[in-house]
Amino acid sequence: MLILIFTFLIYVFSFKLTENHKSTDNKYSETPLRRKKMASYFTVFKDESKLDINYLPPSLSHREPQFNLLTRFFQFATESPGKMAQRALIVGKVGTGKTALAKIFGLKLMQTAQEKGINLHYVHVNCRERKGSLFLILQQVILDFYPHFPKRGYSSEELLQMLLQVLDEKDIFVLLALDELEALIQNEGADTLYKLTRMHESRLKSPQRLSLICILRELDCLDALDESTRSTLQRNIIFLEEYTKNQLRDILSTRVMLAFRNGVVDEEVKDLVAEQAEKEGGNARYAIELLWRAGKYADASGLREVTADCVRRASSSVYPTVQKDAVFSLELHEKLFLLGLARRFKQTSATYITMGEAEEAYNIVCEEYGEKPRRHTQLWKYVNNLSASDVIRAKVSEGGVRGKTTLIGLPYVPADELERELSRRLKA
Amino acid sequence: MMVEEVFSSRGRVKILRLLVEISELNISEIARRTGLNYATAIQHLSALEEAGLVCHKSFGRIRIYRLNENNSHSRAVKDLIEGWEQAEKKEEK
Repeated sequence: MLILIFTFLIYVFSFKLTENHKSTDNKYSETPLRRKKMASYFTVFKDESKLDINYLPPSLSHREPQFNLLTRFFQFATESPGKMAQRALIVGKVGTGKTALAKIFGLKLMQTAQEKGINLHYVHVNCRERKGSLFLILQQVILDFYPHFPKRGYSSEELLQMLLQVLDEKDIFVLLALDELEALIQNEGADTLYKLTRMHESRLKSPQRLSLICILRELDCLDALDESTRSTLQRNIIFLEEYTKNQLRDILSTRVMLAFRNGVVDEEVKDLVAEQAEKEGGNARYAIELLWRAGKYADASGLREVTADCVRRASSSVYPTVQKDAVFSLELHEKLFLLGLARRFKQTSATYITMGEAEEAYNIVCEEYGEKPRRHTQLWKYVNNLSASDVIRAKVSEGGVRGKTTLIGLPYVPADELERELSRRLKA
Repeated sequence: MMVEEVFSSRGRVKILRLLVEISELNISEIARRTGLNYATAIQHLSALEEAGLVCHKSFGRIRIYRLNENNSHSRAVKDLIEGWEQAEKKEEK
């Protein structure tokens, strides 16, 4: 009897508990947290690829005069190809549209040439990505035409001659854009550029097949060149001024239309982004990056529109574009090394870590990614490269450390932000 | 070169098959991909070139070989290899 009463009591108690649990569940479903969770499935973006660093708009706003000037410089390429070769310089700060201008122009020129039955190719090479080496730059061009061309066994001079021979044989004209020319000048010196600008001089009767567009941030770096090279290059210069706030707002409006859903970004937000980007030196790339990040913050907070607060939060997390570009063009092991650094700096409050600590962190990352770690000398080269690109700061230890070692600091980029970015790129 | 001379050599068939698949290659790469040594690859390539089945272009010291599309035997070899590969794929299915 006692057992029966006890079982009945347990049954009643458990029933009540279930009821309570159900009612808590119902209550929970009404909480803002749940609402937020439901809303997180909504995204403010329509097509976020339109905000990607590599997205090329069909035309470039506020750069029409410069585009027309380029068209004048290279008019001969579609009217009398081979009669002459031209060189032009595009100069402007980060985010002023240099690369986009060259690419859009190159593609349009290719299209016009194709319509006229001229075999003209536009080849865009980033000198920094090619480690500032003429050999690697020319190799990229030649591989466009011969994908299985041997990658070793000759000098850059031989390769230049081979390139001209390939162009002659296939009857191709090339407009070669050398982006971030500074890297080539720093690495190879003045002679290389001289060779490139004067290569047609020894080919008097042959058609001139290779024209150049050189893209650089400051004209100062040409001071390292000799006078004759400088005069050859500086004949046709196109300066890209920093974008003004209104111009930036125009650019943002176009991108908002392409990338965001209707009505999720209002005029005030565009104004705020444009204002921030103007302070960053009229940098359109920064503006677009900031807009994208603000959209991401809106998505993460479950908002149905991008607010000014999203922009403010985003602006505190966007690190300067210069370093971002540098990170983008790193090779795999440089990225792994940097990832190790970022992780170590997340754990420590120290301003600098030693080369030994950096190597240790790198070895752990290599293990994680299943890569065979590079040795000390190679890592030391990476440190020099990264330091030259302003991603890290490297200095030789002075006192307090036994012996001499390289000290590495990460003063320009937030460690967690860098880690996230690198992990994303490495996974991709 | 007689047809049996071309097809009796495993190395030559490998080279021809490779050039059908990847149209243009240099000697080192041909040797690497076919598993032949450099000297043997050159020997076979010279024989095939003499028979008109392949031809080469020189860029400085680099010689790039491809099938000689102007030669009817070469085209016949290409058709045979492509047909063979297609039949193999069908049988696998």
